[in-house]
Amino acid sequence: MFTYIVNLAILIGINAILAVTLNFILGYAGIFSLAHAIFFGIGAYTAAVAAMKFGADFAVATAAGMVVSGVVSLALALPALRVRGEYFVAASLGLQMLALTVFSEWKSITGGLGGLIGIPPARLFGFDLSDPVLLLALTLACLAIILLIIRALVRSSFGRSLKAIRDDETAASALGKNVALLKTLAVMVSSSFAAVAGSLFSFYLSFINVESFVLEVSVQIIAMVIIGGTATLLGPVIGAVIVLLLPALLTYIPYLPPTEIGSIQQMIYGLAMVLLMIFRPSGLWGYGSDSDKQAAP
Amino acid sequence: MTGEILFQADNISKTFGGLKAVDNVSFALRGGIVTTLVGPNGAGKTTLFNAMTGHLVPDHGSVTFLGRSILGLPHWKVARLGVGRTFQDLKLFSHMTVEENVAAATESGSWLWQTGGRAAKAERTVRIERAIDATQLQRRRNARAIDLSYAERKFLSIARIMASGARLWLLDEPASGLDRGSYDRFVSLLRTEVKSGVTICIIEHNLDIVQSISDRIAFLDQGKLLAEGEPKTILSDPALAAIYFGERAP
Repeated sequence: MFTYIVNLAILIGINAILAVTLNFILGYAGIFSLAHAIFFGIGAYTAAVAAMKFGADFAVATAAGMVVSGVVSLALALPALRVRGEYFVAASLGLQMLALTVFSEWKSITGGLGGLIGIPPARLFGFDLSDPVLLLALTLACLAIILLIIRALVRSSFGRSLKAIRDDETAASALGKNVALLKTLAVMVSSSFAAVAGSLFSFYLSFINVESFVLEVSVQIIAMVIIGGTATLLGPVIGAVIVLLLPALLTYIPYLPPTEIGSIQQMIYGLAMVLLMIFRPSGLWGYGSDSDKQAAP
Repeated sequence: MTGEILFQADNISKTFGGLKAVDNVSFALRGGIVTTLVGPNGAGKTTLFNAMTGHLVPDHGSVTFLGRSILGLPHWKVARLGVGRTFQDLKLFSHMTVEENVAAATESGSWLWQTGGRAAKAERTVRIERAIDATQLQRRRNARAIDLSYAERKFLSIARIMASGARLWLLDEPASGLDRGSYDRFVSLLRTEVKSGVTICIIEHNLDIVQSISDRIAFLDQGKLLAEGEPKTILSDPALAAIYFGERAP
């Protein structure tokens, strides 16, 4: 039971990183991306290859993943962010499809549909982190660092500029803000940090394949952000906890056929989203006003 | 500064489909005064504003600010040169507080941080406080823009442009909908700013406001600049009055 809880906690931590990093662009900058799972995947594949082929430890492998993910995000952001929001949504969907095909077909790097197996356990500065408890500590440390960095960013002039763009791009531009550059930087920061989750994921499972980075994963991350509360720091973490605990809790409901849990889970997500939109449009952690949100952790 | 030509548009035209919204207009804004653009609806006033700020690129003509061509520059670059504007629909950052709205106007840098270190930060703080004080929004500084009254929103749009440090303010119907007390405060505020060196160009429909606030008036109709001069000259011209009130074609 303890091992099960630790494993679940690691997955929650990894997904919380994804939700927090997506919220940085979705909640604070109003950029709606359907490709977050791809940057998660780029981080995972890059870290796995770095560890398997070059013996890189967690820090180096993660840094490599962040760099590759950040560079790929530029390919999406530079052309797509020069236009208004809906075009970025379409472009991100295109990237999601395209990158998934690359993950499936670039067999020499990604292992194709079969994926990469035998990723060595994580090491950090010579310490072995194969014990799940240590990996959980590493995951939570990464989540805490990313939360602190994002907290600092959204409270800075950069965060104010992103919120200004979210509220009115034309007015932000009329005040001298280079909207395209600010949005590109935001997407780059978000994508780079999403790669940290990918690196943790590949070291945790020691196996990755394309199934972990499909469109449904991107949508699930969006659900975490919306359920928890956009433009709040801790809302996405709460969203990740709820979304990942839900299937685990459903298994404890008696007389529920295990084969139907997936369908019931989807129905509950859908119902929860509809109810949230009606009764708490700011999400579970969201409040009535932005100033309240800022006052909240 | 006063009297110096700050902004110059020469022979600018802008066509939308078959409609000539601005038709070969030449026009200068002199420093340290209030110039008002008047004319009936559809005269081309807002299109001219958009052409002046880079929100639209004219089909023909040249536009200079402080002697430098700004034609074709993106509007954020025009803004950084010192041309600020407000909008008819205000375009406030609705979910940000008054203080955040004003602070955002002082931060035009697009990197993860603002350049200039502590000195620049202190200078920005002074501008924020001055703008909030001058517009009497101190008690509402932590309120979201969306929660403000209409008059407070109007003053917030002025506070933003004030904090931005723009030398040329282009204000699109800034006094419309203001009650008498707010209007008097508004006129007084603009006069103070003009005395301190700001140049203002306003689009306004209310002729009482035009008369009380303007140093010069430019009269537009159907995209053409029909007249430009002192308020008493323009406003007492019966032909222009007839056009303005739709009584006679030009």
